[in-house]
Amino acid sequence: MEKLQRLSSEDRDNLPAYLDGELNEDATRRIESILAQSSVARNDLERLSKTYDLLDELPHPDAPKDFVEKTLATVRLEEVKVSISDQLWFQNTQKVLVLIGWTVALIIASVAGFAITNHIIERPEDVLVEELPLMKNLDRYEEVQSVEFLNQLTASEELLKQMGKATSHEQK
Amino acid sequence: MLRVKDGDDGAFAQIVERFQNRLIGIFTNMFADSALAEDLAQEVFLRIYRAKQGYEPTAKLSTWIFQIANNLASNSRRSKGRKKEVQFQVGGSGSQPVQVGENNVAEKSAMMPTRQLDKTEMQERVQSAMTVLNERQRMAVLLHRFEGMSYADIGETMELSTQAVKSLLSRARENLREALENYIT
Repeated sequence: MEKLQRLSSEDRDNLPAYLDGELNEDATRRIESILAQSSVARNDLERLSKTYDLLDELPHPDAPKDFVEKTLATVRLEEVKVSISDQLWFQNTQKVLVLIGWTVALIIASVAGFAITNHIIERPEDVLVEELPLMKNLDRYEEVQSVEFLNQLTASEELLKQMGKATSHEQK
Repeated sequence: MLRVKDGDDGAFAQIVERFQNRLIGIFTNMFADSALAEDLAQEVFLRIYRAKQGYEPTAKLSTWIFQIANNLASNSRRSKGRKKEVQFQVGGSGSQPVQVGENNVAEKSAMMPTRQLDKTEMQERVQSAMTVLNERQRMAVLLHRFEGMSYADIGETMELSTQAVKSLLSRARENLREALENYIT
């Protein structure tokens, strides 16, 4: 009768935890009840336990005698590398260099910004300056009325002289 | 560790002394390479030293140290693309990994389980059986058996729930039982 008592899959999964004392009270009671009734379960548990004991055969190597010394030397070496950046002069120099870098970058950005703005964006004042010669002579240009006439005047010296005479005569 | 944080190098040396064999033991049985195990153990101590300023005593020191060791082991596995079947060394005395092959003594002896095995042979059997486990199972088993950690501590070290550790160890021990069936007296 007792040998018919079989372990369920869950019970089987719980056996290692039972051996390790990691099961809760209910599960522990259940396993103990099965173990009390089943020699198969007791055998399973025993084999599981003996297998785990075999792990004591695994090597437990000792560290080399100079391991601590070597490790401390490596740590000190690393500390030296780190300590340069921890020194005050290094940190101050670093801060000054960063400040200079930012200042230079700011100046370059300002100059570039001014140059770009100056070339791309046209201000109303720029148009006035550009058109100043035209505005100064605007009254004369309006009197002339015709660009063709001006071209003829430039091309013909004779006509220019006649115009000059007519003007001086009018002035008299 | 708090003394280390305050710059006491003597305290750091004490930590190295206290944990050196334990870490080398875990790494040797994880990777079957004593030179690699020493390198990894030293790297753990370097990381501890680097992290000293940020150390807060919220967890047990051993849990914290083995957490670093576990992360390092995971990274080492990933970066080196280690193969499970090429692993354990004979006798654990050298630093060269040994191929577990057809002509291995372990397999020969498996055919004659009644023969009394000597200590070295039995060690080889158990080392071969460990290769059956995946790396997470192996780490959990080593932390449990070598370090005597509770499931909760293993969970904290390996960033797993206690239930997950229970399943991991259960599967691992079933695999070990199957692999070592012939050697149980």
